[in-house]
Amino acid sequence: MLLDTTAAAPARRTTAFDAFGDSVYRISALVRHNILIRLRDPGQMISYVVMPMVLMIVLKPLYVKAVASGTTQVVTGLLVMFSVFAIAIAGSTIMVERHWQTWDRLRASRAPGFELLAGKIIPIFVVMVAQQSILLVYGCAVIGLPVPHNIGLVAVSILVWAFSLLSIGAALATIARSLGELGVISDVGALTISSLGGALVPLSVWPVWAQQAAHASPGYWALRMLQAAIRGDGQGMVLPAVILLALGLVAGVFAVRRLTRGWGRTRLL
Amino acid sequence: MRFPPSVRLIKDVDTLLEACDLVKRYGPVNALDGFSLRVAAGEIVGLVGHNGAGKTTFVEIVSSLIRPDSGTVTIDGKSPSAARGQVGVTPQHLGLYPSITVREHLQLFGRLAGLRRTALTAAIDDLAVALRLTEIMGRKTGVLSGGQQRRTQAATALIHRPPLLLLDEPTAGADLETRQAMLDVVKQRAGEGAAVVYTTHYLPELTELQASIAVIRNGKIIARGNYDELVDGLPGEVRIILEDEEEIRVSTTNPTATLIDLLGRTERAISAVEVRNASLDDLYRSLAVNDAS
Repeated sequence: MLLDTTAAAPARRTTAFDAFGDSVYRISALVRHNILIRLRDPGQMISYVVMPMVLMIVLKPLYVKAVASGTTQVVTGLLVMFSVFAIAIAGSTIMVERHWQTWDRLRASRAPGFELLAGKIIPIFVVMVAQQSILLVYGCAVIGLPVPHNIGLVAVSILVWAFSLLSIGAALATIARSLGELGVISDVGALTISSLGGALVPLSVWPVWAQQAAHASPGYWALRMLQAAIRGDGQGMVLPAVILLALGLVAGVFAVRRLTRGWGRTRLL
Repeated sequence: MRFPPSVRLIKDVDTLLEACDLVKRYGPVNALDGFSLRVAAGEIVGLVGHNGAGKTTFVEIVSSLIRPDSGTVTIDGKSPSAARGQVGVTPQHLGLYPSITVREHLQLFGRLAGLRRTALTAAIDDLAVALRLTEIMGRKTGVLSGGQQRRTQAATALIHRPPLLLLDEPTAGADLETRQAMLDVVKQRAGEGAAVVYTTHYLPELTELQASIAVIRNGKIIARGNYDELVDGLPGEVRIILEDEEEIRVSTTNPTATLIDLLGRTERAISAVEVRNASLDDLYRSLAVNDAS
């Protein structure tokens, strides 16, 4: 007997609650599936957590000597730098669907576009939040970063920054033509964004023109937001958070638009 | 006859898929140009045509992956996007996750189709047997042979027993085992009432499936009917091999009568005789000749 699984039987009306439950079920299936894919290829994730941990220990003496708040700088700077590298995770997670020719298979399923994207994005978002949280905890426990007074502010800053990175990564995945190109864009972009934003060398020691140019880098705003959150300066967080949210929103809308329409025959290959 | 309100019938005579006057252009190329097709529940339609004729574009429109520039498609009275759960699609190319096992693939696509717990497990077990996947259920698809990957892909489309199957060259490059398993399952599903659109270049498969045939050329259906109707009037062949290995080949619309005539006129000893009626290959070839001219 064939199942006509979409046909609503007259005896049982599909309520909004049922539809919501079905949607959650499909999203959870996609989340589970994407977590499996991530767990079976964990090298990238591990390196983006372990490398900054090692560098924090190695670079801390240098930063402490060079600037007043050296410990904060070494922890937040490397956190921002390696979280920007994680753009590559977001991008490649989406791009492999094109490489494996699986995205259209998902699009042909009953799950609408927003469910496919939610199922794809939630695990990456969790990975990004986890990466930043682990590095902050490590910074406090091992490097000597003072424990922030207001954990809520730190949590908000991590969520906002992860959202922006995720959106940028997703947008990149829809315009890059290959995994190699995506790798180059995200690596060079990460280095530019983080160093221009003051993640590697504190802005205070830069020439004035470079300090001005730093405003164009999302890394600058991320660093400013995170350092304000650690200080417990809620007001100082507002402007950077708004800028990063706006950037994330623009990139996110662009990515969603591209992904829900598929790559089609005009796909960039 | 009246049925209780909870019973919803898919009648054999129902048109499940109806495409009317579809047009789809990619720049200067007309992928579909006035394409119309009807498929009833329980019917297998073999969609044949040359590469680039428009078969895959049609499948993509019915799968709601792309929209036509004009024309309409309905699946059981609904638009393709509203009827996505009712369609099982195997695209021409392989689309599998290499690090995910066969079972995990079936679980994913089953869940996306709304199957839960025991229904999902039962559907997976059922398909594993039907498509001969039982031995490889725990293996990642990246390490499977081409034929095993083809069967896995087909299983992901069939898992929720959809009323409409769109199988785009499902046996391309597949081994004999894969081909037979696929044909058996397609016949079984059609027997249960599924409408099937089956595109292929292996024409004998359509004979085995007892499919009605639609020939597509330049984005338009140019011939539609059953096997006998389509090959009627096409020439078959009579081949006579004489004792000294000389060969006589005659192309004819009535091979039997031609053979009798030739036998009556040949005075030399004959070592072998072969009579071949017109086949779909001949139809295909005649279309190719038309295309070339």
